Amino acid sequence: MTPETKPYKRDIIIEVTTNLMFPLTLLFGLYIMMGTGGTGGGFQGGTILATAFILYITVFGHVKGREKMPESINALFKSLGLFLYNGAGWICVLFSLAAAQWLNMPAFWPVTDYLGVAGSRSFLVSYMVSIGIGLTVMAAFVSQYFDLAWKEEDEMESGQR
Amino acid sequence: MIPRQMKTLTLFGLITAILLTAVSLYAIEDLPAFGDENSPVNKQIELFSVDADGLVDSLNAGVLPAEIKTRIEEMGFIPGPTCQGCQNENYPSLEEGNYEIEYIQEGTWLGGRVYTKGGWDVSILEGEIYYNEPQQYFFINESDGKLIVYRYNWPVRVTERTEEETAMINAVTSGLADYRGYDTMGEETVILTGAIGVILLVRRRGRL
Amino acid sequence: MMEWIIQHILEKYNFWLSMIIIIIGLSAVVVKENFLKKLIGLSIFQSAFFLWVVSLGDVGRNILVTWGLKTQTPPILWKEAEEMGYIYANPLPHVLMLTGIVVSAATTAVALAIVIRIYQLYGTIEEPEVIEKELEFEKKGGEVRNASG
Repeated sequence: MTPETKPYKRDIIIEVTTNLMFPLTLLFGLYIMMGTGGTGGGFQGGTILATAFILYITVFGHVKGREKMPESINALFKSLGLFLYNGAGWICVLFSLAAAQWLNMPAFWPVTDYLGVAGSRSFLVSYMVSIGIGLTVMAAFVSQYFDLAWKEEDEMESGQR
Repeated sequence: MIPRQMKTLTLFGLITAILLTAVSLYAIEDLPAFGDENSPVNKQIELFSVDADGLVDSLNAGVLPAEIKTRIEEMGFIPGPTCQGCQNENYPSLEEGNYEIEYIQEGTWLGGRVYTKGGWDVSILEGEIYYNEPQQYFFINESDGKLIVYRYNWPVRVTERTEEETAMINAVTSGLADYRGYDTMGEETVILTGAIGVILLVRRRGRL
Repeated sequence: MMEWIIQHILEKYNFWLSMIIIIIGLSAVVVKENFLKKLIGLSIFQSAFFLWVVSLGDVGRNILVTWGLKTQTPPILWKEAEEMGYIYANPLPHVLMLTGIVVSAATTAVALAIVIRIYQLYGTIEEPEVIEKELEFEKKGGEVRNASG
C-alpha cells in the first residue's frame, strides 16, 4: 500500500476538541466584530470567523467541511458583504453629487431624528460597514482554503463509497 | 553547472544587502526619532520662524500680524493675493474675525495630548464645508527672541474630535470606516477579486 | 562622532531592526531556487515592512533620553487617561496598514494557486529544472499546449 491509499486514521481527542471549539470561536469572532467600544472592527472579526472554518476543514477533511459551508451559501456571503458596503458608499456619492462626502447619508436616513447626526454616523459604520467587511473577508478566506486544499483522490474515494 | 549558479546568486544577494544598508545609512538623518511626541508624524511640523520685535503684543490682543500672514500665504496654505488659485476653495481664509488666538500654558492636558511648550493656538472658526466648528490649525511658540510657527497634523484632530463627530471611541475604526471610508471600499473589492482569481486558476473540468 | 552614532543609530533602533528583517526577506526571494521558499521570503518582507510603519506611531517618551517607563496607551479613548498621565498613540499608521495586512494574505493565496499550476504542468517546482524543460520544449518547435494536467 502506497502512502496515498492507506486509510485515514481517526483520533478521537482531536475530533471532540474541534467539535467543541468550532461554535465558541464563531462567537468570539462575532464579539470582536461588533462588541461594545473596544479594539476590533470588520477586518479583525472576519479573519477570526474564517479561522473556525479552517480548523474544521483541516481536521475532518474537505468533504465533511462542505456540509458546514455549502457552495451556494459561500457565494451568497461573498456577494452580500460587498453589496452592503458598496451600496451605502455609492448612494452617498450619488446624493452628494460626486463630492464624495460621507455625511449626506444622515440627511435622509430615518434614524437621524432619534439619534442625531453623530449617532446616525456611528449606526451606519457599526451596522452596515463592519458587517459588510466581516462577511466578505470570512467567505473569501474560506473559499480560498477550499480550493487550495482540494485533492482529486479524496473526491474519488468518497464518491465510490 | 549547479555550484557555479549558486555562487553567482549568493553574490547577487550579498550585493543587494550591502546596497540597501548604504541607502539606509544615507536616509536615516531625515527619519523621526523613535518615541518622540513632537515629531512631524505625530503632532506638528515646523514651517518657518520670524523675528519677534513687536509682534507679541498683537498676538496677545488677538490679531495675527501681517508678516506671519503673508508668509503663510506664500507657502500656499490659504488663498490670498500672493497665491491666488494655487489652492482649492476648500481651505478657509485667515481674514479678520475668522480666527481665534488663545494662549495655552506649558503642561496643560487637552484631548489626550500634553503641551510640552507654551504658546498661542490659532484656530479657524468657519470655512470648511461640512465641519462648522473651530478647528486648530497653527501653533506659535516663542523662544530665543524668535517666533516659530508650526502647523498641526491630522492625528491631532482625530483624537480630539472623534467622540463628538462620530460617537465612536475607537479611533482606528473611525479613521478607517468614517473619515477614510472610500479607501476601505476599494480594498474590500481587492479581497473579493483575490478569491475569484483562485477559483479561476484551480477549478477545472466542469466544477466551476 | 559618538554623538552621531548615539543620535542616529541607537535612538532609531526600530528602523534598524525592521531593516534587517527586510533584507533577510528580500534576499530569500532572490537567492533561493524553490518557488515555495521564495513565497515565504516575500511574506517575511511584507510583515517586516508593516512592523516598521506601525512603529512610527509610538508616542511614549524616549527611553534613552528620560530613562523612565513609557507612558502611552492605544488609541481607544477612555476617561481615566488624564488622571494617570497617559498619552494616546498615533492612530494614523494603524489605519493605513490594517487593510494592507489582509490584502497581503489574499495575494499570497493567489500566488500559491499559481505554484500549484506550475507543479501540474511541469512536475517540479525547482527553478533550474523548469527553465531546462522550457528550453527543450522550444527547441523541438512546440506550440502552446492545453492545460490538461
